[in-house]
Amino acid sequence: MDHSTGNQAMRRFKLRCYASGALVVLFAFIAAASFRLLHLHGVVAYFVAVLPALPILWALVAVGQYLEEEKDEFQRALHVQYLLWGIGGTLATTTVWGYLEDFLQVPHLNLVYVYPIFWLFVAIAMPVVKRRYK
Amino acid sequence: MKNLLKVLRAERDWSQGDLAQRLEVSRQSVNAIETGKFDPSLPLAFKLARLFERPIEQIFTDEEQRS
Repeated sequence: MDHSTGNQAMRRFKLRCYASGALVVLFAFIAAASFRLLHLHGVVAYFVAVLPALPILWALVAVGQYLEEEKDEFQRALHVQYLLWGIGGTLATTTVWGYLEDFLQVPHLNLVYVYPIFWLFVAIAMPVVKRRYK
Repeated sequence: MKNLLKVLRAERDWSQGDLAQRLEVSRQSVNAIETGKFDPSLPLAFKLARLFERPIEQIFTDEEQRS
């Protein structure tokens, strides 16, 4: 997201994102180690399997919190546009890839890549959207 | 939407940053509004009107009405 404003809402958003990123790495390590060393099954196995996804869900909530807390309406409008690009790009990519998988047997796209793909499109959108307002 | 922000700002010898500080928005926001690329919400338009002590319609031009 845009780091240029340096306001309180952005600072809080960045902090939440860093914390979420650190937790993803930690939880992924815990989940991988748990499945390797312990014989997990039942509800516990399900819980440990989704553990790395929880901070990612928190990061998505943080995006909503940022939009709620951002007082600068222009910055808010910019970020909404970045997110729309991210959503559109992700839907387009995964839909096209889905049909390619169905008909041409291209490699299967693991769903865990959907989230990074979304942020990749958000990152691509930033300079493009900003250029409109220069 | 066209507006007189640049003129009103120049009359007071304010930079875009000065105006942004008074409006509690980013300098990019002021620039986007000033160049007519972003239309402010009503609350922000009223804030501008109060700051420049002018009615909103004197600051912003209703282009539909003009044409």
